[in-house]
Amino acid sequence: MSTNYTYDYIIKYIIIGDTGVGKSCLLLQFTDRRFQPAHDLTIGVEFGARFVDVEGKKIKLQIWDTAGQESFRSITRSYYRGAAGALLVYDITRRETFDHLLIWLEDARQHSNSNTTIMLIGNKSDLESKRAVSYAEGEAFAQQHGLFFMETSAKTADNVEESFVDTAKDIYEKIKQGVFDVSNESNGIKVGGHLQPKTLPLNTDNGNNCC
Amino acid sequence: MKSSRCLNKFKDVLQSANIDLDALRNLNWLGIPNELPSELRSITWQLLLEYLPCNADRQVKTLARKRQEYFEGVSQAYARGIAGLDQTIWHQIHIDVPRTNPGTILYQCETTQQCLERVLYVWAIRHPASGYVQGINDLVTPFFQVFLSFYIDENPENYDTSCLPKNVLDVIEADSFWCLSKLLDGIQDNYTFAQPGIQRQINKLKDLINRINAPLAAHLQKEGVEYLQFAFRWMNCLLMREMSLKHTIRISDGFSVFHLYVCVAFLDKWSDELKTRDFQGIMMFLQSLPTAKWKEQDIELLLSEAYRLKSLYHEAPNHLSRV
Repeated sequence: MSTNYTYDYIIKYIIIGDTGVGKSCLLLQFTDRRFQPAHDLTIGVEFGARFVDVEGKKIKLQIWDTAGQESFRSITRSYYRGAAGALLVYDITRRETFDHLLIWLEDARQHSNSNTTIMLIGNKSDLESKRAVSYAEGEAFAQQHGLFFMETSAKTADNVEESFVDTAKDIYEKIKQGVFDVSNESNGIKVGGHLQPKTLPLNTDNGNNCC
Repeated sequence: MKSSRCLNKFKDVLQSANIDLDALRNLNWLGIPNELPSELRSITWQLLLEYLPCNADRQVKTLARKRQEYFEGVSQAYARGIAGLDQTIWHQIHIDVPRTNPGTILYQCETTQQCLERVLYVWAIRHPASGYVQGINDLVTPFFQVFLSFYIDENPENYDTSCLPKNVLDVIEADSFWCLSKLLDGIQDNYTFAQPGIQRQINKLKDLINRINAPLAAHLQKEGVEYLQFAFRWMNCLLMREMSLKHTIRISDGFSVFHLYVCVAFLDKWSDELKTRDFQGIMMFLQSLPTAKWKEQDIELLLSEAYRLKSLYHEAPNHLSRV
């Protein structure tokens, strides 16, 4: 695997939500374009990365996929702060995963930085016959809390690409508007080397380090 | 050690009326070669975990009593069927068991899955301080597999446990439960709130790497790689996710005493590859280490390096303090 590839921005994401809602499967579908029905369960965090193109800019998404079980909450919390994007996932076939969204959201709001873009994802949309949470409910929750919303299927890949890319588009919009302090990497955004001399003051360290 | 000589040494220790655990521990550390009868490992593990008594006269009685105690525990917990279980705990275990070694026949057959579910559930309700934590499902598998090997000639990984007589399966399940319990007794704070045991181990790993491989430590720091990001899983699942089951079983011969040092040797082993990579490359590499191609020899090398490190640093805590 070669990482020796230039980028305009690196944006860090975090994927959160109850255990078994399909967080790792969404990541795998996004990074590798495949589905693994019996995915190993995630312990602590796992990492994935992929390039996307937004308005002609090469944006590298570096994604932390977190363990959903309550016991790991104190570990996964340390990953919020450095994330510019968060995908909050529930399973449309399991009501309780939707009922827990508020707890997740409070956790995210408390531990992430205030500009983090949050995308609410109702996963397993291919299992229509087992649906326990309607599209309207998901949409209403998102609206009420100022989140983006999509239903996805990690199995069929439906909307998976869009959920990651639309989040990136919103973050890129914020970057353009100057919402993020991009000189501080801990905000979850890193600017590529060749962009810096033109638009931004040089970082003191590894400013020309492409990847 | 040649395997026939090794077997004789084991026999000498195991056939005494009162088994010398220290002698067994030393012998065991050298390893139980795979060509030796599998019951050797089964008995050795049960002795070292102090499940099977050292006193030969007490063995049969004790095992019968412990097994009975487990069966009663299961009957009590399951008295009102699945509906009578703590639904939060049960549901978590129920969705995790099928995700345990998903590629392996042994763990995909329903009979095995039901056994593991009961073992994990009964353990969880008896240990409310931690409860069931993901990863404990991995820890039970070496026991189940080694104890199963005691009763069958086939490769256990390809074995469908529904072929076993019920009383045999019950015994394997009960023994797995008790040995898992004994193992976890020693590392319970790996699984309590905020997992302090794991945090401590990770700090020690970091200190030891600073000490034995400063260039690697410096490179990881420069790239912004935190030990927690990759070593959490190593500690939480005792490296079981990083190795094939067969090699996990060999590593488990040393149990948790050596675990930290196995992790140190393990990270150190990849030093050359890691130092050529950036943050992303390091994370991707550490997440899917090329251990699938490992042979027994690789494991033996790793373990002897771990043993060397342990003798150097374990009884000398000053070596650990930061310079």
